[in-house]
Amino acid sequence: MTDIMQNANPLPEEFKVKVLRQDGPGQNTYWEHHRVDYEQDMNVISVLQRIAAQSETIEGKSVAPVAWDCNCLEEVCGACTMVINGRTRQSCTALVDRLLEEDPEVIELQPMRKFPVLRDLVVDRSRLFRSLQKTKCWVPVDGYYDMGAGQRQSRPEQEEAYPLSQCMSCGCCLDACPQFTKVELERQDGESETAFQARKEAEYDKNFVGAHAISQVMLFNANPTGKNNANERVDALMKEGGIQVCGNAQNCVAVCPKEIPLTTSIARAGRATTVRAIKKWFDR
Amino acid sequence: MKGSSVATNESSSFLIRHEFLIRRLHSLSGLIPVGAYMVIHLMTNASVLNSPGTFQRAVYQIHSLGAALPVIEWGFIFLPILFHAIFGVVIIQGGLPNTSAYRYTSNTRYTLQRRTGVIAFFFIVFHVFHMHGWFHFEAWQTNIAEPLGGAMFRPYNAASSLAAAMAGFLYPVLYFIGLLACVYHLANGLWTMGITWGLWTTPAAQQRANWISIVFGVGLFAVSLGALVGAKTIDTKAALEVEDKMHDAKIESAELTAEETKHKRATNEERASWLDSANSTESAGRDEVSRSPKSNAAQ
Amino acid sequence: MAKKRVMVVGGGLAGLAATMKLAELGVEVDLMSLTPVKRSHSVCAQGGINSCNDQTRQLGDSEWKHFDDTVYGGDFLQHQPPVKEMAYWAPKVIDLMDRLGVTFNRTQEGFIDRRRFGGTLYKRTAFSGATTGQQLLYALDEQVRRWESDGLVKKYEFWDFLEPILDENGVCRGCVAQDLVSMEIRSFPADAVVLATGGCGLIYGRSTMSMVCSGSAVSRCFQAGAKYGNGEFIQVHPTAIPGADKLRLMSESARGEGGRVWVPRTPQDARDPLSVPESERYYFLEERYPEYGNLVPRDIATREIFDICVNEGLSVEPGRQCVYLDLTHIDATELSRKLGGILEIYEKFQGVDPRFTPMKIFPAVHYSMGGLWADYERTAEGGLQLGSPQNQITNIPGLYAIGECDYQYHGGNRLGANSLLSCIFSGLIVAPGIHNMFSAESGGAAVELPSALFTGAQKKNQEVHDALLRRDAGNENPYLIHQQLGDVMTKAATVVRRNDQLESAVETANELHERAKKCSLSDTGNWTNQNVVFTKALLDMFPIAKTILKGALQRDECRGAHYKPDFARTSLTAQDAAGRQTQAEAWCDEFEKNNEKWLKSTIASWNGDQPEITYEDVDVSIIPPRPRLYGLAGAEVIEEVWNQRQSKKNELASGNGATTSAEEATATK
Repeated sequence: MTDIMQNANPLPEEFKVKVLRQDGPGQNTYWEHHRVDYEQDMNVISVLQRIAAQSETIEGKSVAPVAWDCNCLEEVCGACTMVINGRTRQSCTALVDRLLEEDPEVIELQPMRKFPVLRDLVVDRSRLFRSLQKTKCWVPVDGYYDMGAGQRQSRPEQEEAYPLSQCMSCGCCLDACPQFTKVELERQDGESETAFQARKEAEYDKNFVGAHAISQVMLFNANPTGKNNANERVDALMKEGGIQVCGNAQNCVAVCPKEIPLTTSIARAGRATTVRAIKKWFDR
Repeated sequence: MKGSSVATNESSSFLIRHEFLIRRLHSLSGLIPVGAYMVIHLMTNASVLNSPGTFQRAVYQIHSLGAALPVIEWGFIFLPILFHAIFGVVIIQGGLPNTSAYRYTSNTRYTLQRRTGVIAFFFIVFHVFHMHGWFHFEAWQTNIAEPLGGAMFRPYNAASSLAAAMAGFLYPVLYFIGLLACVYHLANGLWTMGITWGLWTTPAAQQRANWISIVFGVGLFAVSLGALVGAKTIDTKAALEVEDKMHDAKIESAELTAEETKHKRATNEERASWLDSANSTESAGRDEVSRSPKSNAAQ
Repeated sequence: MAKKRVMVVGGGLAGLAATMKLAELGVEVDLMSLTPVKRSHSVCAQGGINSCNDQTRQLGDSEWKHFDDTVYGGDFLQHQPPVKEMAYWAPKVIDLMDRLGVTFNRTQEGFIDRRRFGGTLYKRTAFSGATTGQQLLYALDEQVRRWESDGLVKKYEFWDFLEPILDENGVCRGCVAQDLVSMEIRSFPADAVVLATGGCGLIYGRSTMSMVCSGSAVSRCFQAGAKYGNGEFIQVHPTAIPGADKLRLMSESARGEGGRVWVPRTPQDARDPLSVPESERYYFLEERYPEYGNLVPRDIATREIFDICVNEGLSVEPGRQCVYLDLTHIDATELSRKLGGILEIYEKFQGVDPRFTPMKIFPAVHYSMGGLWADYERTAEGGLQLGSPQNQITNIPGLYAIGECDYQYHGGNRLGANSLLSCIFSGLIVAPGIHNMFSAESGGAAVELPSALFTGAQKKNQEVHDALLRRDAGNENPYLIHQQLGDVMTKAATVVRRNDQLESAVETANELHERAKKCSLSDTGNWTNQNVVFTKALLDMFPIAKTILKGALQRDECRGAHYKPDFARTSLTAQDAAGRQTQAEAWCDEFEKNNEKWLKSTIASWNGDQPEITYEDVDVSIIPPRPRLYGLAGAEVIEEVWNQRQSKKNELASGNGATTSAEEATATK
């Protein structure tokens, strides 16, 4: 069976990889072509490892290794996200065989589109974490002394919460979202690091928080203790750059590698903000 | 984007502070009053399918508001549409459609929603000029709007002026495209609105709501086509007769005065030219099934 | 007077637990990590976290038994007081994590659900799907973010720890680190530096560890004078998915939920595994270890799988070594609910659904029990003196080590689902100690010290960095050398160790080290240069690699994960009772003699080129060492002989009017 399939579609001896490179922020981008020997069970990580080791382009030019971000290689840390054959995803689970099925000619690697490029395929995703801070995504416990067990939770509650808590902040949902646009600031002359940081955060706060943060808000608002400051989180979603920016393209849920029900979270957050807005109006 | 955060902060602080409220009002205005008005408007117009008289009756009803009409027109129709349109443009500018990279249905719908919004906006601007003329003061109407082919509608010659306005090939095509955009925009908007406001939350609920919005959209487009076909199949001569009878009856019963109705009726030259062009199309050999005045009278 | 600050290096479970606890105590923390802390290696932990709980307690379990299982599983190589304290804290740790919002799986009634894990007979392990580490890490990450927004924590993500800064008295006063984006090298004054940088799996090339687990930070402290304990104890996880770039973990929970390990009795049986009849399947773990079955401790499972493939030639595939891990007899919905995460990993990487097809797995390097030597302060009862600044401190004053990078908790081998516990626990207890040290010390803060100390350290590291970028001679490729190092280490120092192999590995490691010093860089730029960062990490792998090899070479015995067949104790061979009795006596004599010599921690220090090894006595005062007898023929006889000897000893001791600490401890429970 497998023999027949292999004969029908012979394995390549090598394949081409095209990488969109950028030496640093604000610099020009350029495509670079590499040739990589085919091995079985390869993923984009191992492709990039080969490219780093050979550090030579298809034209035989010596080049610096492509910079990219990765860590766990099991699709639980979120680090190695990039745009592969036009679609944002993790490079560890992007298997070469599948990619060559998509396009037998070449595998195309680009950095994520919605985050400032630091170098090559490495991007700055600090905005994503800033959103979690802005929306107070944590359980407000009194402290870390032993106070006994938490509140009992039913199995259905856990089963609702668990998928949301699997979000690894990879940023796929943001990269594919047409409403999430790139915010890239440059440090000005004479600006201190703290001032620059503050300016960046202020700018991030004005722009869309993104599906991941909205979903996390729903996670914490469902937690027995997290409920206590649910209003604060909902209010955060109603500030500028809040949930109202969502345009319901629903790409987030389609590209989420963890299949988190992001659009359900968004709709629930929509309901929560509706109720909150009405209540605020009448309780004022 | 770079470095101008302080400046934008000051200048847009009101809009930014109230972004949530504005977006929600934008969402709401799409349904009420704009969407609701659109439905009523299309149904009224589709009534011409029944007979020019039915249509004329509906128009009389609307115009019975008298002096309040412009206030209502502006307050409940034009301004909400303008608001919806202007903020719609702002919203469109905040997004970067990426349908080429992500060919998902919902993403395509997102992009279409924006494109149809733009088409609908231009269509409505054109349509209001074409029929209504935008403004109703004399100098504008006679010197600018009418010479440019606008302000075609005569409320007390509703069907006949409509037929004249829709004469030819170009206008019906433009209306067809415009209506398609409007209907899609409303039906899809209804679906996304339900998500935005938190009406349907789970994928299953959203799927059900999707069916409802599809049925609604198809239905509304059928009504639109009805209005369009109705407008194209008016027998101008017969319509004029009915309209005149109805008008005369109103004057006779002192419901309206001739002074009041003057600017809402066709001038004699207009009648002559409408009849002329209607005759010429008929004599060109088309054997159209047009409703006879008799059937009108029967109603 | 400036406020004292702590620098926590590493943002996994241990680092985050320490950070949040320090912040709670009002201490300002700088948190440094190679990656955004939420992406730390802790996310890879799948199975769960252990503690005695209300249910197991009623089945006879207790904190004491958890403690006992841990030291027994670790072959008594860990100092017992910290382990005891940890076992007694375990229920509290889980309660805390529960309160922090960890989505632990629930029973029907809403209690935290538990599963069974290796090395114990009780269902102690709380879990959150099959991504428990991720869930625990996120809860701590969220708390730290909370403190960050309150201004008590400042994060330095994408920074590489280069060196601890020691003053003229040898006290750690901060560290030097490098920004991985801008390549800026900077000194960070700190009044305590807490190292929480995890394991060193990258030394083995491919392992189950993440790409940041190079052990470089630990190595840099080792080279600065910190001692390294029990380096040779490297846990090889029995079940991993072989891959080209990484060996991906297949959690022990797969077996905890009923997964069965087997091979066809016919070597390389080409049939579809599901069509192999029950009678032709060899469930070798269940047959060889009837009591524990598939849930024997990891070292034993690993060795058996290795044995089946290498010695018995029963590997499932002809070209590659692997055995079946079979879940197909369990209901698919149940599997998805409890193991969804890991089954998806298998499916994503192998393209086969393990709910319906047995998985193919093989052992892989997984955890380093060894790590920086760390101290503790013992109470009279044999627990830890909580709040003591001695807890978790290395031999360098002011430098602490917690989590996987310390050597404290797991001895010769770690039990499954104990690592998450030890990480959080050590993070939580290090904080009050540091806080108390700050209040007790009258001296000023590090930031007020003469700046020459810090500028000097910065300059020194800058020069090293610049020299590395300038270097052109040699033309060695760091990636290839890394690959070779990995191959050597995997061959010589994993499941089965032989002295001749270890000797030649030491030589090869030395050669490779020399060659690595001549690496030339393909990237000589000064912006996000991963090439230079990797090369530095590679250079720092060698001191640890040499320590592992030398420790393994010198330790002529079998203990925990360190298995040398040449020194393995044999099963009893005599058939008759008397003969067995004599053999058992001899066995126990030998065991005691061996313990006298080898029940000692390996302590390495760096002399600039090679590790120097000394041995340290282990505090086994609470639970006396006893033989680990999993699966040995005649185990019952040995156990009986051993127990008789122990009770005789105890009688003797109580006859003299003295109470052994073991009894004392037993009395307190």
